Amino acid sequence: MTSKREEKMKKMFGKPSAESEDYAAVRELFRHHIESFDHFVTAGLETMLNKIKPIEVVDSSTGTSLAIWFGKPFLFPPQKEESKTARGKLLPFECRQAKVSYTGKFMADVYFKYNDGPAIRENFNFGQLPIMLMSKLCHLRGANPEKLVSCKEESSEMGGYFVLNGLERVVRLVILPKRNYPTSMVRNSFRDRKEGYTDKAVVIRCAREDQSSVTVKLYYLRNDSARLGFWIQGREYLLPVGLVLKALIDTTDHEIYKNLTCCYVEKDESCDVKKYEKGKGNVGTQLVGERAHIILDEVRDFITRRQCLEHIGGHFRPLMRGLEDESDLSVVGEAVLEDYIFVHLDKGFDKFNLLIFMVQKLFSLMDQTSLPDNPDALQNHEVLLPGHLITIYLKEKLEDWLQRAKKLLQDQINNKSKTFDFCSLVNVKKVLDKNPSKHISLAVENMLKTGRLVTQSGLDLQQRAGLTVQAERLNYLRYLSHFRAVHRGASFAGLRTTSVRKLLPESWGFLCPVHTPDGEPCGLLNHMTSTCRITSYFDAQGNIRNFLNIRESILTVLSELQMISSVPKLVQAGPPANLSVLLDGCVVGSISSKVVEKVVAQLRKLKVSASSVIPDDLEVGYVPLSSRGAYPGLYLFTSPSRFVRPVKNISIPSDEGQNIELIGPFEQVFMEIRCPDGRDGGRKDAFPATHEEIHPTGMLSVVASLTPWSDHNQSPRNMYQCQMAKQTMAFSLQALCNRADQKLYHLKTPQSPIVRTSAYKKYCIDEYPTGTNAIVAVLSYTGYDMEDAMILNKSSVDRGMFHGLIYQTETIDLSDQKSRSDRSRKFFRRSNINKNSSIDSDGLPYVGQTIKPNEELYSIHNEVTNESRSIKHKGSEPVIVDYVAIDGKKLLQKASIRFRHPRNPIIGDKFSSRHGQKGVCSQLWPDIDMPFSGVTGMRPDLIINPHAFPSRMTIAMLLESVAAKGGSLHGKYVDATPFANSKNVNEETPPQSKTLVDELGEMLKVKGFNYHGTEVMYSGVYGTELTCEIFMGPVYYQRLRHMVSDKYQVRSTGTIDQITHQPIKGRKRGGGIRFGEMERDSMLAHGAAYLLHDRLHTCSDYHIADVCSICGSILTTSFVKPERRVGRAVKGLPPIRASKKVICHACQTSRGMETVAMPYVFKYLAAELAAMNIKLTLQLNNAA
Amino acid sequence: MEGKSYQRLPRVKIREMRDDYMKFELRDTDASVANALRRVMIAEVPTVAIDLVEIEINSSVLNDEFIAHRLGLIPLTSDRAMSMRFSRDCDACDGDGQCEFCSVEFHLRAKCHSDQTLDVTSKDLLSSDHTVVPVDFSDSAGMESSEQKGIIIVKLRRGQELRLRAIARKGIGKDHAKWSPAATVTFMYEPDIRINEELMDMLTLDEKKAWVESSPTKVFDFDPKTEKVMVVDPEAYTYDDEVIKKAEAMGKPGLVDIIAKEDSFIFTVESTGAVKASQLLLNAIEILKQKLDAVRLSEDTVEADDQFGELGAHMRGG
Repeated sequence: MTSKREEKMKKMFGKPSAESEDYAAVRELFRHHIESFDHFVTAGLETMLNKIKPIEVVDSSTGTSLAIWFGKPFLFPPQKEESKTARGKLLPFECRQAKVSYTGKFMADVYFKYNDGPAIRENFNFGQLPIMLMSKLCHLRGANPEKLVSCKEESSEMGGYFVLNGLERVVRLVILPKRNYPTSMVRNSFRDRKEGYTDKAVVIRCAREDQSSVTVKLYYLRNDSARLGFWIQGREYLLPVGLVLKALIDTTDHEIYKNLTCCYVEKDESCDVKKYEKGKGNVGTQLVGERAHIILDEVRDFITRRQCLEHIGGHFRPLMRGLEDESDLSVVGEAVLEDYIFVHLDKGFDKFNLLIFMVQKLFSLMDQTSLPDNPDALQNHEVLLPGHLITIYLKEKLEDWLQRAKKLLQDQINNKSKTFDFCSLVNVKKVLDKNPSKHISLAVENMLKTGRLVTQSGLDLQQRAGLTVQAERLNYLRYLSHFRAVHRGASFAGLRTTSVRKLLPESWGFLCPVHTPDGEPCGLLNHMTSTCRITSYFDAQGNIRNFLNIRESILTVLSELQMISSVPKLVQAGPPANLSVLLDGCVVGSISSKVVEKVVAQLRKLKVSASSVIPDDLEVGYVPLSSRGAYPGLYLFTSPSRFVRPVKNISIPSDEGQNIELIGPFEQVFMEIRCPDGRDGGRKDAFPATHEEIHPTGMLSVVASLTPWSDHNQSPRNMYQCQMAKQTMAFSLQALCNRADQKLYHLKTPQSPIVRTSAYKKYCIDEYPTGTNAIVAVLSYTGYDMEDAMILNKSSVDRGMFHGLIYQTETIDLSDQKSRSDRSRKFFRRSNINKNSSIDSDGLPYVGQTIKPNEELYSIHNEVTNESRSIKHKGSEPVIVDYVAIDGKKLLQKASIRFRHPRNPIIGDKFSSRHGQKGVCSQLWPDIDMPFSGVTGMRPDLIINPHAFPSRMTIAMLLESVAAKGGSLHGKYVDATPFANSKNVNEETPPQSKTLVDELGEMLKVKGFNYHGTEVMYSGVYGTELTCEIFMGPVYYQRLRHMVSDKYQVRSTGTIDQITHQPIKGRKRGGGIRFGEMERDSMLAHGAAYLLHDRLHTCSDYHIADVCSICGSILTTSFVKPERRVGRAVKGLPPIRASKKVICHACQTSRGMETVAMPYVFKYLAAELAAMNIKLTLQLNNAA
Repeated sequence: MEGKSYQRLPRVKIREMRDDYMKFELRDTDASVANALRRVMIAEVPTVAIDLVEIEINSSVLNDEFIAHRLGLIPLTSDRAMSMRFSRDCDACDGDGQCEFCSVEFHLRAKCHSDQTLDVTSKDLLSSDHTVVPVDFSDSAGMESSEQKGIIIVKLRRGQELRLRAIARKGIGKDHAKWSPAATVTFMYEPDIRINEELMDMLTLDEKKAWVESSPTKVFDFDPKTEKVMVVDPEAYTYDDEVIKKAEAMGKPGLVDIIAKEDSFIFTVESTGAVKASQLLLNAIEILKQKLDAVRLSEDTVEADDQFGELGAHMRGG
């Protein structure tokens, strides 16, 4: 058993046990996506189908009824339809190249049952459902690197995304409120709900087994009562608490009263209470009793449960699908309770207990004996996983399908058409064909393609758009970050308050504090730390968890541990004396507050031990008694899609690594976890640490942990680096030759960094290196390195430093281009006339050929007109044809051409070190003019200005330079893992005598170099020694994707706007850059009047207008056509140009016509004003 | 003004000479000459390098430009380069590589037929001129590995093929680094190190040792027998002032006096193999001479120089 446990741990923390498991740590980063989809495939889909309620169609004339419901689903791996009989595997790379979707057939049994007859099973095809790569249905599942390469994938392909129309799309992880946990909230919007409401409520998001959820809110009223609110079809309905309590179980007012007031014990009842009275943990006050009275008083007219149910049923009958005609109101009432109130619980008794708990929590919030929960804290959050999103979306679509089917059938019955026989299943099926079942999968595909939910109900989600994003393969780090990103929700992006963006201590260890973009999505788009995982339906062995069994075994363990079960209806004393125990949102009992800490410790022990049935990711959220703190209780969670991370449990003797415990953000807040530096971190003896972090770098995301010695940098610089790492032009893909991405950046000559953190090896970053070890000299040399500019050595660039490429793929599908008017078929073919063109005989360009702008690219043949037309290459720079792929059908109609743009460094390209120090290349400086080191003769690859350092304080960059110099001299990599010195420092060992700098300096000194990394250098131009010693060493530099070639904008003359006659904007269209107001102001300030005039008038919309000086109008002028006088032209002389004659329409004369130079917009303004009946007149004089 | 000559007669003393490495002293001249020599060696001594590549078949993993770039960087033996013509100046041809005066043609044909990857190296480049071939490193590496294969251009898998024609031309490092014959050329001023023995004797043994240790390079040594500090290798001194700083820190400023001799330089030349290091120096001097010749006034340029006014007068020695 222990060996099994070890294996499990190995799997979780990526200790490679064999060579083939090199990618285990990387795979771990993607696991939550794949596991959630695996669950959808293996169990989730079936559970969901079973949860869909049958519909019943009744033919009122004959009285026959037909029930339709779903049975077993069948999901197939993606198949290729080569012909009608032969089928082959459809591989992801084929989808990417052919721009189709990676989908598998989705079939399901649908049962039909007439009256009480036998159920008839029919198999329906629900279309092609997108299949996640590397999921159980993917052909790549379990493939080793060799197999993956033979499938034309990356050897490290991780999957976790969908291929839709050739694009790779990832479902974004979005934060949701933690399921099945009642949170107390204070929100002003609650007060505005209705008259009499306060701003306080307790909210619970209840999730069903099939992941669909219903949020229930318990509002507090100003008259000391409470209302239960829930949403049905986009409207909120409110019920008095008393009514719901009575409707849930058969009970008495006394019982309810006792239950509600159990959290408050009057002073004189027992001496035991006195102990708690002054101390902490008093949740109830004497007001509780009065409120209970009020709650009961509100519903005093309802005595029995049936009465309550009927009352509810009466109000909700029109809203309940399928129960509109139900005559028994209590059935409707029960359906309302079942479908909308505490849907995570089945039994009325459990719901009753939970409601009591919530009311008590609400009262305590009101009396300020407990604090509201922070809805922005990670403590109260979980995450939306791809599998779950698809499940709930598919559920709604299938329900809609059934409803539409019902409506269609009902219509047919009502129409009483002769051809339709309700009792014939064939006829019924024919009617159902009008409601195409294949659209179901299409809806899911469209949802994943656009990220937009098309739904009426909103699925209890906060947002309807932006749920999926494209997984850009710009570089490996960016790609990887897509899978680790957690978004707070699109609805928060527009919020003006910044509180949601705050970095809260609750997210310690789960979300990376460094890796968030600055600017608009700052704090909303977070990234999980490298150790953070998300719980799933699968245990470490890959078996699906049976949550019922797990809960049961937890219950038995708890009752062994002195928990008083809530099953026999006994009223227990509330908090100070006893704490409620909630297991996944079900009040399972209470536990004496004296023993609870022991129970928690015992639970944690069982969690970690391999032999117990308690899952290792159980969240033991023990909220201790406190005076006016969080509401106390013991909250246990086993549910999936929670955040967890490993820490060491030091209260358990550490034998064979069995002390690694997975903790969640809810429990973490109340735990004592110390840093592994061996010190107590200011902890008092009263709170000894029970847990210890595994490594301090566990709090960083993968990208952030790649910054060397990030603990020596000013913190914002590390943030900038996280962003820039993701915009780096790097070695993007190994299977480049099989890809048809729209745009790919590729660095030709990458290197592995000399100075690297331990994460480089763990996450196989060397497979996709992102930069070059450039020899960097820090000096002010030519002046061309001012203001973050940097000088590149021309010879280094000549030799291949930072050489790069952009791959661009153009896909042409001629079958799409078919316009409605002409039905002619078009295909690729070279025209017969022009044989020596640059186009191959198939009408497509030759591979390897350079195509300049406006050269022929491909040629299309029209079958009907028998004409060939060649299409020219658009774009402003020459491209090389890298690859041409055709769709292998008979007629050549679909082709994709991949182009290659060489992008070697030029002035204006952007580069950055790994420390947020970006700069623009200002010169490619000749090698001989660069300063050179007297000893080695080395010229730097790159010169940066020393002013880059003082204000930015990127000390780690200096350290990197020294370390890399030492490392390259000694021929080994240098470990630059941050916080390395705060790990495993025992109290006995004296504080480290050697600092990091000493260590690095020593490395240099041994090899005869200056201890501080400086070198004596000589001017390359004069050969004289430079007065200063220059700090020089290799620094890993990244080339960023922002390149001038994509950005430069040039215009002298060109297209103008039709209305204003001013130059248009936009680089693509050859427009200009706006010379705006601020620029105008600076021109004015300089007194550069001529320049201003040139910019704003001459080069803009210069216009000579004819103005009538008599009436002053510029609009009433018109040309008079000069009469053509024939024969007056003298032979040999140019024809006399008839003088233009302009007359004023208003004055009917041309006497007063003058020409005036003005901006054309002025004339336009005059016209616009005229449209508003405002006349604009000019008075002309010659004064100037 | 008249009569005074600044002419100096520099002396060169060769210390060490191998095919690709040379160390020599240059005396009785100043930094401008030394640096000019360095600059010419790096950027202006011509070599031959592949400049035009016509690719017939390329089914390798690297794309055409990448292979062309790699080919360009392969050093070719360029002893003939000095006598060759730049193809832009060549009258005999239009630069298509058919001309013996300005270009050399290469062919490369490689196809992998086995399951093992085939390394296509510089050895596979077949030259049309036996004097211009890819540099062979095998003998300089001391014959230790008999299968020195040359510089790898690309690796081929089964079925992949590379067939191309390349034309090498004469060029200089200024235009592109591939034409640079020098890997490294550097010089340093010869140091003159004098230890103040009086002060040195005042130091204790440990202090002496510490002082000697303070230099990262082994310039000084401590003789335990005589208890004296000696200069063992003045040229190892890198002008890093470490020993001077150390002496000051020990309260003995002036313990050592180090002066850079303004007129003597120690050169280190490393060649890429295209030209022998010694030949590189000779060629550099030749080029430098030619450049000076171009500057030197000849009768037919006097008129032109009049246009330069004062500058012309200055150049004429006025």
